[in-house]
Amino acid sequence: MPQMSILYDEGQQAIATESRRVLDARTSKQRLLALLEQTGTFDQLFWDTAVEQGWTALAIPEAHGGLGLGLVELGLVAQATGAATAGAPFLTPGYGIALAIMGSGNADIQAQWLPRLAAGEILGAVALAEGTAPLPTRPAVRYAGGALNGTKHAVPGGLKADIALVWAEADGAPALVLAELADAARTPVESFDNTRLYADLTFAGTPATVLAAGGAAKALALEILARMAIVTAHEQVGGAEALMLTARDYALTRRAFGQPIGAFQSVKHRIAELYGLVEIARANCIHAAGLADGGQADLTALMIAAADARLAATETYDTCARDCVQVHGGIGVTWEAGIHLHMRRTRSLAIELGNMLFWEDLLVENLTGVAA
Amino acid sequence: MSEFDAFRLRAHDWLASVAGTFGKAARKGLSEAEDLALGRRYLAARFDAGFAGINWPKEIGGQGLSHIEKVIFDTEEMSFGMPTGYFGISLGMPVPILIRFGEDKAWVKERVIAALRGEEIWCQLFSEPAGGSDLAGLRTRAEPDGNGWKLNGQKLWTSWAQYSDYGVIVARTDPTQPKHKGLTYFWVDMRAKGVEVRPIKLAGGDSHVNEVFFDDVRLDDSQRMSPIGGGFGVAMTTLMIERYVATDSGGFGPPLDLFVDLVKGLEINERPALKDGRVRSAIARNHAMRAGLESITARAMQMLQAGMEPGPEGSLNKLVSVRSRQKLSELAIDLQGNLGFAFDEHAPVKDNWSTSWINAPTGRIAGGADEMLLNTIAEKILGLPQDHRPDKGVPFNQIPA
Repeated sequence: MPQMSILYDEGQQAIATESRRVLDARTSKQRLLALLEQTGTFDQLFWDTAVEQGWTALAIPEAHGGLGLGLVELGLVAQATGAATAGAPFLTPGYGIALAIMGSGNADIQAQWLPRLAAGEILGAVALAEGTAPLPTRPAVRYAGGALNGTKHAVPGGLKADIALVWAEADGAPALVLAELADAARTPVESFDNTRLYADLTFAGTPATVLAAGGAAKALALEILARMAIVTAHEQVGGAEALMLTARDYALTRRAFGQPIGAFQSVKHRIAELYGLVEIARANCIHAAGLADGGQADLTALMIAAADARLAATETYDTCARDCVQVHGGIGVTWEAGIHLHMRRTRSLAIELGNMLFWEDLLVENLTGVAA
Repeated sequence: MSEFDAFRLRAHDWLASVAGTFGKAARKGLSEAEDLALGRRYLAARFDAGFAGINWPKEIGGQGLSHIEKVIFDTEEMSFGMPTGYFGISLGMPVPILIRFGEDKAWVKERVIAALRGEEIWCQLFSEPAGGSDLAGLRTRAEPDGNGWKLNGQKLWTSWAQYSDYGVIVARTDPTQPKHKGLTYFWVDMRAKGVEVRPIKLAGGDSHVNEVFFDDVRLDDSQRMSPIGGGFGVAMTTLMIERYVATDSGGFGPPLDLFVDLVKGLEINERPALKDGRVRSAIARNHAMRAGLESITARAMQMLQAGMEPGPEGSLNKLVSVRSRQKLSELAIDLQGNLGFAFDEHAPVKDNWSTSWINAPTGRIAGGADEMLLNTIAEKILGLPQDHRPDKGVPFNQIPA
């Protein structure tokens, strides 16, 4: 049978158009550039917009104050935020935390946190990674007796988050734990993409609740990683497409040697190649989101679709950033032109949710059954 | 089950029922003449089973279905390796043009049925030594001769001309016009006096393309299929006829599963090759790319079924897939070390990395070179300017050769 895909319905197309329109109106390159030079701040206007538009509530069930939509809709919003290099890293982690809380099956925790996540009243971070491992086999952070101890380094959003989903060792096996960060120690990490709010989180008796333990924890963690990766892949595609169109527009207006530079094959072919990359990555994203929302897929199929989306989107965003700067020539490397906002974001998104090496190995393991 | 799923099932069942007679295994070891004869028998069987001319009108021998069923059938058929290659051009381009522009409807119907049954083959005489990507630069000329025309010149890269009964041809009828405007479209009898076909041996060893020479070949004016000077327009219609065709994310080379199977039997540094990061990276990147192409195709089919126009991203398939097939084939050969040297030029390109590799360049040139496809994407989809064309608007006979 041929590969399945989905077509966006009218409601989904409206979400795509509306999120793009709102962000176009409210995004300011100057504001984002200024934020780059500060550590510890994020784009409050973007976050207010996300809450006002209901993006924080999109994929949370209606019973818990959400809109009960899925990854397809969240992906479309992520595509718009990616195009705008939105400056607040809480939308995707909020979704990941909600998935973990839903997966826990614990009604009290669901009632306590999901409505507040949906309303955007609290900010969430996801802290699975340690060192170079996106999902370490033996996490060093430990959970015991309702408390967490240890340090997670450079957690996205860690500087401002109220709660965090933490991959920690509990009773000799990894577990998914929800931590309240009011008393956790935070050390900001000065980064090339400061609005990501990277911070080392040090837990010393930090209050926490186990959401999943034992074998179920690994499966749930992988599913959360896959689903968050699919959202991030949409965000990368949104950024990549914006760069491809920026390069196209510049090639149409900038003239050299008596003609628009877009008439030179070295330039037009470069941009045509970007178009191909964007469409292939987008197709993988649509397929993965449709598969995830369809609810029929097993974890292996979901991991494969997420990996395809993630790998294509990362390569595409990286290539679009490199080539968009190149098409612009000298102006492309200036602070003012702001293409480096995307350049910086390519690297943060390439690492958050696991780098290419991680997803390549995961994909091949799921395709062949042979681990790296 | 939708009507399309039902059609797919019916097509698959029929194909499976004749696969033993005509499919991959039955073709193994056949000479080209034997394979062509088998192909003619397969087309006759396909016609009798009601799977020929799927999206062509019933009045001329087709099935009167839509191009969705056509693509479904072709996609299913592709996986069986049936001997259809000799008829692909014939039924893909010249015969549809004949249906559309042929004047004598009774004669057209006779030809269409003969072509669908594999009894006759048509070739497309477009490319020339001086006009491939730049088709309108062609030099073959048709001059008025009594109540008809006299054809002189040379065509190049004509697929399957050596087996063709008829051809469609674009020739220059007025060299004083700018190059696109002085062309006229005809059909030609390939057995006529003055037609000479010389097969060209390609790098991979096979000879499916030809040089075709025309020496004072006489054409009746009834063989003209465009207004005088309107040939380029008809030639361009050809490109629009089969906009949605069965695609292969493997670039018409081996599927990725075959690469994984190969790798499973190999070692690198005395460790399983499948554990090697470079190999895993190649598998993963190719999978991500091919999955994307397949999703594009799946979405295009869904849009067609929903009565919508598929997006232009469908045009990426050949460009992306054949390039990647070329590189993956190189890697597959290299990974085998000295065992990679063995070569059987007759091995099918969809099963064999060496023939896939040596024939891959043809795929990047035939039917639109990579560079032309990139130009089309840049100009038609992204709205970027045309290349500088110094011959634009200049009478053909004043363009420096």
